[in-house]
Amino acid sequence: MVARRWVIAATAVAAAGGAATVGVARWAEGRFERAGALRIAATTAAYLAVVVPAGADSSDFDLAKLLVQARALTTLPGRTSAVEVYHGTAPLVDATAAPLPAAELASLRREAGGRWQDGRALMPLIDPGCREVVGAVAIRVVRGGSVGDAAAQLLRWAFPAALLAVVVAAGAAAGRRPPGHYTVAALLLGLAAYADVRGAARRVTDRWLAETRLLLQEAATRLPTPRTRVALSVLAPLAAAEGTGAGRGGGRGNADLVEADSTTPTPRRVRVAGAPYAVVAARLGAGRWVEVRAAPAEASTAGWLLLLTGLALCGPLALRGLRWVELAAHRRQELRETATAWAFLAPAGLHLALFSFGPTLYTLYLSMHAGGFANFAAVLRDRLLWISLRNTVVYSLYVPVSMAIALVIALLLNRAGGGARRAVRLLRAAFFLPCVASVVGAALVWQWMYHPDFGLVNYLLSLVGAGPYDWLGRPRTALIALMLLSIWAQVGYQMAVFLAGLEGIPQAYLDAARVDGATAWQRFRRITLPLLRPVLLFVLVTGVIGAFQLFTYVYVLTRGGPLHATETVVYRIYQTSWEFLQFGSASALSVCLFALLFGATWLQFKLLGRAVEYA
Amino acid sequence: MASVTLRGLSKTFEGAAQAAVRDLSLEVRDGELLVLLGPSGCGKTTVLRCIAGLEDPTAGDVLLGERVVTDLPPAERDVAMVFQSHALYPHLTVRENIAFALEMRGVASPEITRRVSETAARLALDGLLDRRPQQLSGGQRQRVALARAIVRAPQLFLFDEPLSNLDAPLRIELRAELLALHRALRTTTVYVTHDQVEALTMGQRIAVLHEGRLRQLGTPADVYERPADVFVARLVGSPGMNVLEGRGRANAKAKPGDEGGGRVVEAGSLVVPVALAEYEGQLFLGVRPEHVGLCGVDQGVGNGDVLIVEPRGNETIVHLNAGGQGLVARLPGLVDVQLGTRVGVKLDRRRLHLFDAAGMRIA
Repeated sequence: MVARRWVIAATAVAAAGGAATVGVARWAEGRFERAGALRIAATTAAYLAVVVPAGADSSDFDLAKLLVQARALTTLPGRTSAVEVYHGTAPLVDATAAPLPAAELASLRREAGGRWQDGRALMPLIDPGCREVVGAVAIRVVRGGSVGDAAAQLLRWAFPAALLAVVVAAGAAAGRRPPGHYTVAALLLGLAAYADVRGAARRVTDRWLAETRLLLQEAATRLPTPRTRVALSVLAPLAAAEGTGAGRGGGRGNADLVEADSTTPTPRRVRVAGAPYAVVAARLGAGRWVEVRAAPAEASTAGWLLLLTGLALCGPLALRGLRWVELAAHRRQELRETATAWAFLAPAGLHLALFSFGPTLYTLYLSMHAGGFANFAAVLRDRLLWISLRNTVVYSLYVPVSMAIALVIALLLNRAGGGARRAVRLLRAAFFLPCVASVVGAALVWQWMYHPDFGLVNYLLSLVGAGPYDWLGRPRTALIALMLLSIWAQVGYQMAVFLAGLEGIPQAYLDAARVDGATAWQRFRRITLPLLRPVLLFVLVTGVIGAFQLFTYVYVLTRGGPLHATETVVYRIYQTSWEFLQFGSASALSVCLFALLFGATWLQFKLLGRAVEYA
Repeated sequence: MASVTLRGLSKTFEGAAQAAVRDLSLEVRDGELLVLLGPSGCGKTTVLRCIAGLEDPTAGDVLLGERVVTDLPPAERDVAMVFQSHALYPHLTVRENIAFALEMRGVASPEITRRVSETAARLALDGLLDRRPQQLSGGQRQRVALARAIVRAPQLFLFDEPLSNLDAPLRIELRAELLALHRALRTTTVYVTHDQVEALTMGQRIAVLHEGRLRQLGTPADVYERPADVFVARLVGSPGMNVLEGRGRANAKAKPGDEGGGRVVEAGSLVVPVALAEYEGQLFLGVRPEHVGLCGVDQGVGNGDVLIVEPRGNETIVHLNAGGQGLVARLPGLVDVQLGTRVGVKLDRRRLHLFDAAGMRIA
């Protein structure tokens, strides 16, 4: 039976997908664990460098004191990891243990970030004097009973979710449930696996914080200076120590040590200035507390979420692919056509994805990055945004004005026929010319025309005894000057669109209206204008969108001045990103502009957009 | 109500080599339905548009009643026009379409309401008043176009091929409705069509136009029975009249006392005795298909080869080749004729039409 073969195939695919997802999740957890162990080793090494003084006649550690402090580490209550300290290759904590192989030590000298060897993290031990690697600190994370631990590993979230996905897939293939259920189950599996990874990252951060707290408190007691007066700068290396190199990925950046009132001895999460932190309080002495603030490892696991859900969804995708291939095998023609269609779509699709959807999504991501809606709140509080928004709205009022002019010209040109045809063509070209001219070039020409001393505009005004004005230099006229320039630039294009629209209106309607007794104005008002409505809507919507994107004229002519009189939203976005380099704010602004334009367009369609069909 | 008079009307479009209408004079009597018939491009629509005022004639005058309206705009002529494309305003409802002309003329609003509902009732449009044109069928659109014209109660109706966009059954139905409407309203009407059946069934008189000139003006019977020239003869009737090129001469085998002095017309393989005293030489012989009969070989006026047979149930159309000239016979009922056979041809000698070499009627 077909069904039986499908049950087997579905089970196999789902099992493979589940295994892959669970496997990757476990590997990611291990990665976090290793990074965490390396970090603990680094902190331990930093601790030893702080508490053990240098020997009398060398820059190396005082060996006796190093031995004492290393042994003391094992007696710290509450530690969750087994520690070994090597001086040279000799183990200090457990003297009977095997020495560190010389090759290991040699490679540690080269790798400052430490290495992972035989299930433990090795970090170089650097003496405080000459900054030379004199030994190593090894950390092995201790877990509970090994058998039970393995069971716990299996039975967190991902494994049961994978089992569920297999069962659902098999059931769906047997025809009892629609195949969509398997997709949902796979999605669940991805989320479960991510929950495991995130949990591991959180555990690792917490463990490091707990160990660091213990070491901080221990360091305070063992330093010769009175413990209430230990300078934070002395202890800072403990917090700053970081496992890097092979095991990196556990956390971002160094941690900080700050004086604090908090007395909570267990790790917790707080937000400081909008950013998430993992913190723990350590007691340095009577009434003196410090707080270790670290970037929590789980805060940067979004990539894993994408990877794991993507991986989990490969199962349903593969199953669908199999089904499609089986169906298509009977229809080779269709297979070929589908492949051809995709091949044709690929370049355009790739272009869209790369240059359109990709940047859009990235802008959204940037605007939300670092603290959710904080960027939006900051942007909306900015007074200049509201000024630029008002300027943009005022500027966009040029669109209806130029549309009215363009419509009048189009009507005149449309009426003129017969012998005037050559003249009409010439006029049409003349009006359209600014549209094909370089925008920057046109702006520069108008800059001269607006010149306060030699400009054509002021010369014409002087003929009627007005002016002169510094058109672009005065806050009251600068925006108007830009609007005039835009009308000149846009009128030809709008006229061409209107002419096409007028030619699309059948003459019979106008003839009928003439016979019905309509005057020229009534014919325009009652017949031409309503039938032109789709064209008007098109020109209005594209015009307003274009007006909201005003940038070039501002950039070339006024740079937003004078006194922010020509500051527009897009120019503000440009300044925020490329002059102030605040990409988050700029992205938030862009998203706001998009929302605004979307709303404006929707409104215009709502008010004007009734479809007209010709009967 | 008014008559329409055209005096020497001519129209030449800018850039066109030939005139669309040439020196056309005719009178449409008060209350009459006159059909302008002609093939496409004959200038009949141009004539109509000149009467409506949508085109300015190059020369000549248009009179409505006693009034010269040549230079008046359409609005001041008090005519209503129905267009081939119906030209219903797509953005207005049926009600607004019908009311449009009244509104433009400043008719009071309650009066408009009354007249619109009256007209809608007359044309069975009551239920459609709030629809838009694109929601109507072709026949409904045509009725709305009619309603738009009659609601104004104008002096003159102008119809520009109003039925040509409809399918055949609907056309027949609406033809009858239009006639009933004209009988009821008695409004002077000029009706343009290229369909001779429509012209024969609807027109009280028919004006046949060809290349901008008036070829014949007369009742449907006149035009059918006594076509003024070869063109009209071929245009009217379905199929049109057979027109054979021939030559008149004295009949060598004539016996004294024979009809027409024993003269014959030789056309292709036919030798037709005609009642023709004087005429000698090149001429055209016309005979309608229903006046052509078949008989045994050599028993008629000549023989022909059967090319095509079209049985239509109530009649059979037979296309013959008579010595290189086409001849169509229309025989009642179903006739058993074999393709490719040779048959004899009979003509009803009382129903022959003769045209001179220029195509004008002789007798």
